[in-house]
Amino acid sequence: MSTTPSVVDRLRARIGTPGPPSTVMVEAGHLKRFTEAIGDSYPRWLTEAPPTYLVALAPVSAHLPEAEEYGKGWLNGGNRFEYLEPVKVGDTITAIGRVVDVYEKSGSSGSLLFIIFETEYFNGHGRTVARLRGTAIRR
Amino acid sequence: MILQPGDELPDLIKHPTTRQLVQYAGAQGDFYEIHYDQEYARGVGLPGVILHGLLKAAFLGQLVTDWLGERGTLKSFEVSYRGVDVPGRPYRCRGRVTSVTGGHAELEIWGEDPDGNRTTVGTAVVEITA
Repeated sequence: MSTTPSVVDRLRARIGTPGPPSTVMVEAGHLKRFTEAIGDSYPRWLTEAPPTYLVALAPVSAHLPEAEEYGKGWLNGGNRFEYLEPVKVGDTITAIGRVVDVYEKSGSSGSLLFIIFETEYFNGHGRTVARLRGTAIRR
Repeated sequence: MILQPGDELPDLIKHPTTRQLVQYAGAQGDFYEIHYDQEYARGVGLPGVILHGLLKAAFLGQLVTDWLGERGTLKSFEVSYRGVDVPGRPYRCRGRVTSVTGGHAELEIWGEDPDGNRTTVGTAVVEITA
C-alpha cells in the first residue's frame, strides 16, 4: 500500500488541464541525428519524420515533479501513435500535452502508480498532425 | 499490394549497444540515468542499463515502414512494454497481418529477446495505396 496517497490526489487534480504548449521547428540536422540514433536509414527520413520522431520534438509528458515522490523509478508502460498528416523538415510543430488518467495498482512487488498522458501535435496551419498516448509508471 | 491475414513481415534484427543508448538519449532528449549509468540502474533494481521503451517502439516502427516502403502509409501503432531489454543482446522485431479491410490492414507486431520473450507487443494499422 502506498504511504503517500496525497501524491495520487495531487496528480489527479491535473487531469484534463493542458500543459504549456511547446513549439519547435523540424530541423534536418536533428532529424538526421535521430534516425542515426535509431539506426533507420530509409531515405524518406532525410526530409520526413519517421514514426516515433515526434517524441524527440517536445517532452513526451508534462513535467510532474510530485510524481517522483512516489516509488523509486519510472517505467514506460506503453505508447500509442496516431498519424493524420506527415511531418516534414521545416514544419513548425506545436505539442500540447495533458494528463488524462492517474491510478494506483498493487502488484506482486508493491504498488504502482500509472499516469496516462496524451499529447496532440499541430502544424503551423493549426491542423492536428499526430497524437501520442503514453503510460508512465512509477514503481 | 495484395495482403492476406497471416502474411508475415520480414524480421528486423537490431543490435543495440550502450553507445546507441547514449546516442538515442541525446537525440530524444531523454536523460533518465537508467539508460546510461550502470550503477544508477542497478540501484533502482534493474539488471543494468536498459533500452528506452521508445527506442524499441522506433525499431517496431521501422519494421513496419521498411516492409511497407512506398506502398502505403502507417496510420497508427501502439506498443506495450512487457519486459526490459539490455544492450549487447540482439533484438528481433517481427510482425504479421491479422486482418485486411478495404484499403487498410491491421498488423500484430512484437519484439523478442534472444530467449524468445516478447518484451514489446503491439499492433499497427496501415493504409495501402499501391
